[in-house]
Amino acid sequence: MQAQTALIADDEPLLRESLQRMLAQMWPELKVVAVVRNGRAAVESFESLRPDICFLDVHMPGLSGIEAARFIGRRAHIVFVTAYDKYAVQAFDQGALDYLVKPVELARLTDTVARLKVRLNVAQHNAHTDELLEQISARIYKQAAPAYVRWLRVSVGQALRVVSTDEVDFIRAEDKYTLIAWHGQAGELNEGLVRTPLKELLAQLDPEQFVQAHRAIVVNLRAISQVLRGDNETATIHLKSRNDVLAVSRTFLHQFKMM
Amino acid sequence: MDSSPQDRFSQHIARILGWRRVRIVLPVCVLFMILFSFTWEAGYRVLIGRLLFFGFAGLFAFGLFEQWPRRLPGWLARWALQVVAVAITMPLAVWIGYSLTNIGLDPPWWQDQGRLAGFATFTFLCLLLAPWMAVIALLKQIRNDASNQALSFELERSEYEKQALNARLRLLQAQVEPHFLFNTLANVRELVTTGSPRAASVLDSLIAYLRVAVPRINQPTATMGQELELVRAYLEVMHMRMADRLTFTLHADETTHTLMCPPMTLLTLVENAMRHGIDPSEVGGSIDVRVWIEVKRCHASVIDTGIGLGHNTMLANEGLGTGLTNLRERLALAFGGDASLQLSENKPHGACAEISFPAMVNKT
Repeated sequence: MQAQTALIADDEPLLRESLQRMLAQMWPELKVVAVVRNGRAAVESFESLRPDICFLDVHMPGLSGIEAARFIGRRAHIVFVTAYDKYAVQAFDQGALDYLVKPVELARLTDTVARLKVRLNVAQHNAHTDELLEQISARIYKQAAPAYVRWLRVSVGQALRVVSTDEVDFIRAEDKYTLIAWHGQAGELNEGLVRTPLKELLAQLDPEQFVQAHRAIVVNLRAISQVLRGDNETATIHLKSRNDVLAVSRTFLHQFKMM
Repeated sequence: MDSSPQDRFSQHIARILGWRRVRIVLPVCVLFMILFSFTWEAGYRVLIGRLLFFGFAGLFAFGLFEQWPRRLPGWLARWALQVVAVAITMPLAVWIGYSLTNIGLDPPWWQDQGRLAGFATFTFLCLLLAPWMAVIALLKQIRNDASNQALSFELERSEYEKQALNARLRLLQAQVEPHFLFNTLANVRELVTTGSPRAASVLDSLIAYLRVAVPRINQPTATMGQELELVRAYLEVMHMRMADRLTFTLHADETTHTLMCPPMTLLTLVENAMRHGIDPSEVGGSIDVRVWIEVKRCHASVIDTGIGLGHNTMLANEGLGTGLTNLRERLALAFGGDASLQLSENKPHGACAEISFPAMVNKT
């Protein structure tokens, strides 16, 4: 039988090391293929390495552990790791999800490992659903899940990237795909593709932030540096982080009038 | 008040003919009716009518000059005006009362001995009684006002005490989140298990933090020096936990160490920067704390290069700034409104929190 693989995601370096060390002790056959520091990296590593088990810290910057679990879906066993939090523990218990409470106790980890081994043998994945995760997220963060899509899964060549909608500069309809142009946190410029048609994607985005400028272009209002009025009811959009100039067609001009 | 003139007129009338005043005047009129009824020769209706007329005339004079004219010259006291007005009104009212009830009499009533004697009696009694009633009413009103004022002072003070207590309670409740404590302990355990030489110093920082952060009820004030130690301990603990995402600097003039500083003031700002700036950011950032004295005021700034005010999605539900709102309240209570707290955007990203309050040396 092939060795089982796992991914560990936690934003605190010592806690990543701690879990890795304890797992090595408890379950030497388990191969930890990725140790990452946030939810976004967890999803991206998952897509390229496809580990069998993902240990996800619930509270991580950017994409939280819960959100990452929704992206991973049923393609892996998820074990949530959380610092002591009454609401989280209750929610996980009710949802019959695997979880560990930090500081992780050996006895508790032993139980979890035993359960995971059984599940892996019968190839039965744990029962988390989007709905359940949404409820848990609402309980932990004491707010309803955002009504709009906040993270996009974007293909760049063979790799998959997770992009925050805040980082997106503009979105353009291409032949079969939709192109996403975004800037990274260090200012680097990226482009990638999603399969969702532009119209469908626009409907899922926050209308306060994303506005159509042209039949085939949607722009992030926060990415705009200035809008210049041209002749004959036209305008051009200039962006903060890139040199592209986007044209505004007459149909959509009214949305940029106050800028 | 933007009521119409009509409304205001009826308000004035209502005040002049207030029930509490009518309640005093009516029994006095009744008393006189009973006294006069023994010797009265004319009809009782005339007697009752006249007495009520005199009573209300006096009441009206009293109430009218209570409100009009709105401003009085400095040498004229309102109470004196009211008493004099009542004294002048009474003989006039008696005269009018007699004229109205004796219309068409020939010869006129003042040539009739009996009626003239009645007039004199009424005038005398009214003059004797009405101004005194006015004086008593005024005295009573002054006493009422005084006790009302005392009551509202008392109310204000208890309200203030309640606010101070609430701010204190919230401060105590806000201490040491289990989430912070257990996460930190998980880190410390890893250091201990792996025999890291850093374990002892991190544990020291945690102890220093807990020593101050665990509530102590009887410690209303602290010094800036203590506060800076607390902030350093907290930042060192957080740096251990997220060494790859947090850097920090602390700059404070030596002279600021002895200044009075309400407990947890600086720490609240730093925790806020951590919670809303650095923690939600994937790349992290730095926190810079500065404390200095300028024109007899103590200034402190906490600048972070985290996620910033506008992009807070992760912890927005916890209410961005409830910690700061509570801090503002505590500062207001400690310095009676002479403290300021401002939060602004830091360029290119992050937030900047600044406070200032009077620089006072803590003598305790």
